Amino acid sequence: MSLKFTFRNKRISGILTVLPKQEIKFEDEMAQYNFPPAKSLKLKLAMGYNKHRIVEAGTNVSDLCVYGIDYLLNEGLLEKDDISALLLVTQSPEHFLPPTSNIIQGKLELGTDVLCMDINQGCAGFIIGLLQAYMLLEQESIKKVLLLNADVLSRKISKRDRNSNPLAGDAATITVVERSLEPTTIQSVLNMDGKGAYVLQIPAGGFKLPSSPETAEMKEDENGNFRSLDHLVMKGDEVFNFVQKEVPPMIEELLAISGKKADDIDFYFFHQPNKFMLNKLADKIGVSREKMPANIVENFGNASGATVPLAVSYNLGADALASTYEVCFAGFGVGLTWAAIQQKLEKFQFNHIIYY
Amino acid sequence: MDELFGQLVEIFEVESLDPNDHLVDLDMWDSLTQLSIIALAEENYGITISAAELRDAKTIGGVISLFENKQKS
Repeated sequence: MSLKFTFRNKRISGILTVLPKQEIKFEDEMAQYNFPPAKSLKLKLAMGYNKHRIVEAGTNVSDLCVYGIDYLLNEGLLEKDDISALLLVTQSPEHFLPPTSNIIQGKLELGTDVLCMDINQGCAGFIIGLLQAYMLLEQESIKKVLLLNADVLSRKISKRDRNSNPLAGDAATITVVERSLEPTTIQSVLNMDGKGAYVLQIPAGGFKLPSSPETAEMKEDENGNFRSLDHLVMKGDEVFNFVQKEVPPMIEELLAISGKKADDIDFYFFHQPNKFMLNKLADKIGVSREKMPANIVENFGNASGATVPLAVSYNLGADALASTYEVCFAGFGVGLTWAAIQQKLEKFQFNHIIYY
Repeated sequence: MDELFGQLVEIFEVESLDPNDHLVDLDMWDSLTQLSIIALAEENYGITISAAELRDAKTIGGVISLFENKQKS
């Protein structure tokens, strides 16, 4: 049974996605892999790889976030004085200290009455971040929370790793969270299992194993991928088994709490590791694939916690300004963490993608 | 297990398989094929197998035994 949360009278009032301008096609990277092209093309088809967006060298999380928030301020979609908190969910912080959210606050010249917090979460980062935002909004002093899901993890992925490189994606999303204009109920369920902490990891670069010439040494794994201890490594089979086993019962539990049937939900915006895994999830939960968009990895790559809000920006676009939807958000992965939220999306003030 | 045998023939994209066939000698043996077998186990047989267990099975016959043992336990 999951840890449960209930919130009332809160809403998301807009999502802005900032994507890197640089777009790379799967075919253009095939020569980097230690596999025959025919086999790589088969992988492309099965997993739904096509193109992905990667930052240029030297671009950091704060660059993407500041660019996006400045855009909202300049377009009149956000007032500086309304920002009470910057919640940055990232696993590509610029330093161990200071927090990157403080760097963003400084660059934007926000007032000192702003809470800045970095949250170290990945695949489930949108859910964890929303939970924190809703908790903060229980305080009367909090006006709007900016939930920033931003990662540039492509910089920690080996270009010769066919396991991870084709789905590498960088992005920042800015989700404005505030009080609702109408009575609403938001339900959430959450699970974590640190026994699986090393299923997804970057082994070196922290205090336990600092980066060194030894950790930068490229080695071949049993499947023919090359990476070093400085690179992200993922046990794909364990992730697959974990997701198929844990996520469907969690969604069932959430819908039971919400008092909704699977078909009452207009959209299931789930974290997107690849199309293969997501389509299997849709089948297992028993919802049509149309209700569970799986088009993020093929167009942009997997930008960790940003995939869910990016899926909202990309699939709903301006429709979210005119219509309301019952949605289910879910994230699952690094931690291990798996969590989901069921809520109504009220009419947004903005919902689009810009390029950095 | 005839059904599983047929499913493996499909996954490996071959005309036929022999229980003595070594996995590493088969053209299609790679991480995607492993994932396809793992997904088949999960969806059609309700069992969880890992990539390491598949590699350790070594042969087609070994994979079939792995499925049988998992279903028993």
